[in-house]
Amino acid sequence: MKIGTQQRRQERIDRGIKVRTDGLYALMSWRELAYLIAPRLLLIGGLLLLPLVVPGMYWLRVISIVCIYALLALSFDFLAHYVGLVSLGGAFFVGVGGYLTALLNTGMGISPLVAIPVAAIFGGVICTILLLPCLPLRGVYFAIVTLMYPLFLARVIEALNILGGTDGIMGIDGVPYVWLEQYGIIAMLLLILFGLRRLVNTDLGLVMRAVKDNDQAVRASGMNITHYKALAVFIASSVGCLAGACLVHTYMWAGISTFALDFSVLPIAATVIGGGGTLVGPVLGCLILVPISELLRDFGTLRIVFYSLILLGFIVFRSDGLMIYGQRKYHQFERWTDI
Amino acid sequence: MLEASDLMVFYENNLALNNVHIRCDHNQIVGVFGANSAGKSTLMHALSGIVLDMQKKEMMAGGERITVAGSVRYQEKEVMTVSPSRRAKMGIVLCPERRRIFKESTVLENLKIGGYLASPAQARETLAYVFDVFPTLARLKNRIGGFLSGGEQQMLAIGRALMAQPKILLLDEPLLGLSPLMQAMLMRTTREIRDQRKIAIIVTEQYARPVFPIVDYAFILENGSAVLEGTREALMDNPDVRSAYFGV
Repeated sequence: MKIGTQQRRQERIDRGIKVRTDGLYALMSWRELAYLIAPRLLLIGGLLLLPLVVPGMYWLRVISIVCIYALLALSFDFLAHYVGLVSLGGAFFVGVGGYLTALLNTGMGISPLVAIPVAAIFGGVICTILLLPCLPLRGVYFAIVTLMYPLFLARVIEALNILGGTDGIMGIDGVPYVWLEQYGIIAMLLLILFGLRRLVNTDLGLVMRAVKDNDQAVRASGMNITHYKALAVFIASSVGCLAGACLVHTYMWAGISTFALDFSVLPIAATVIGGGGTLVGPVLGCLILVPISELLRDFGTLRIVFYSLILLGFIVFRSDGLMIYGQRKYHQFERWTDI
Repeated sequence: MLEASDLMVFYENNLALNNVHIRCDHNQIVGVFGANSAGKSTLMHALSGIVLDMQKKEMMAGGERITVAGSVRYQEKEVMTVSPSRRAKMGIVLCPERRRIFKESTVLENLKIGGYLASPAQARETLAYVFDVFPTLARLKNRIGGFLSGGEQQMLAIGRALMAQPKILLLDEPLLGLSPLMQAMLMRTTREIRDQRKIAIIVTEQYARPVFPIVDYAFILENGSAVLEGTREALMDNPDVRSAYFGV
């Protein structure tokens, strides 16, 4: 499209199936039903089929890692675009969840199948309590505090030599069955993805989005924004802790590297690529970014250079993100008209 | 001096400005009146070129597609594709809606930022002039912009626009949210500025009564089209205009 004046313009027209508002459709035929369901089925089917088509154990492991990062990206996207809290705390959530499940498993001998959900819930509680002081504030404080905690906790563990110190906690059980591990995490990802999509459209989600838009107006409507922010942080950090717990049981080891900043940065990059605010976008972004980063491993340290170039390309040429672009192309068609 | 013809602006498929013709001559005050969503601000954005900037931003972010067509001629030159910063250098200066002053800078700093395009001598001369025409600002020189009252902020916004050495000044809803007393004072000052600085001024406003006494010529916008135009006297005699924009 040309900047400035033009003789003709390209107009965007919604496909006939769409009724006035977003998410409201009048279905008249199987074709229209298929039109709506196809993208969802594609995602679900694709994710479920993926482990069957990849070559070898190594790539099965990569898929697990993709799902773990996707969970983190979901938690970032939810907080950033639906509650207005920019969180750099992926590493924080992963670390807390990871160490919790490691302690439950090695200390108390609890099976991973129980330890993972318990670690997710209690990890969420711990993270929320630790983050509570900065929730009434608006601005960069939340981002800074979430960035600070993983660094802080890693140093505490190192300095006090608790929780295994620099060696980490070893001898953690893996999930009993390989396919359970593989499909368990994919199923959880899909559940949480569609669950969050539901959540943001309920009344509760509405309040959270309002907090993002204008927290003073929400306060003036008689609602306690700290309460709603805490609830949102609990949901997001539980998802993050779940990812951390899965990671630890995949590697069968929990150490200081679970607080590595990769867990904070990569989900954000994935959200940029996939399209923030769509929830599906970040998952898509992880599906692209994580395998790319694996493929680039051959280049050694040059990996980061290629990686940055890919990110830069996306930001310059598709700054709206793949998903937003794709949704628009799917739901609208374009044609040229004379002015 | 400034003439827009066949001006059309689309926000996606919505027509915000439809074939608008508008002109403003040297040393003239032109009023543009219309209800909310009549297209006043879009017109100002199109004249000042901000619309090109919005167009680019929206395109980068994959948002609304903004389409602009028509021509804007300024001093016999076509400026439709000229960027807003270039247009400001040429003398088309916008004083934006809701003032948009730099809230964390002092009054003096705000004015100095406005004078970025001017030569030091011009800036000094204009600064003295702004303090002369708005004595309140001289008194509040070191106050932080965000702490000023609405009226003082509006004076500051106009002062800042003047510092950019306009040949034509675009005032977008300068009376928004001000008391009638302040409105009358601002409009008197606007006329004074025109008389003393010999610049052209285009004022948009929803409610015509406070602005009408100072305009030479006026346009009425409705749903994106300029439905009526005429001199002050001609429009005053029009019963529709009187009931819709004067509440008589």
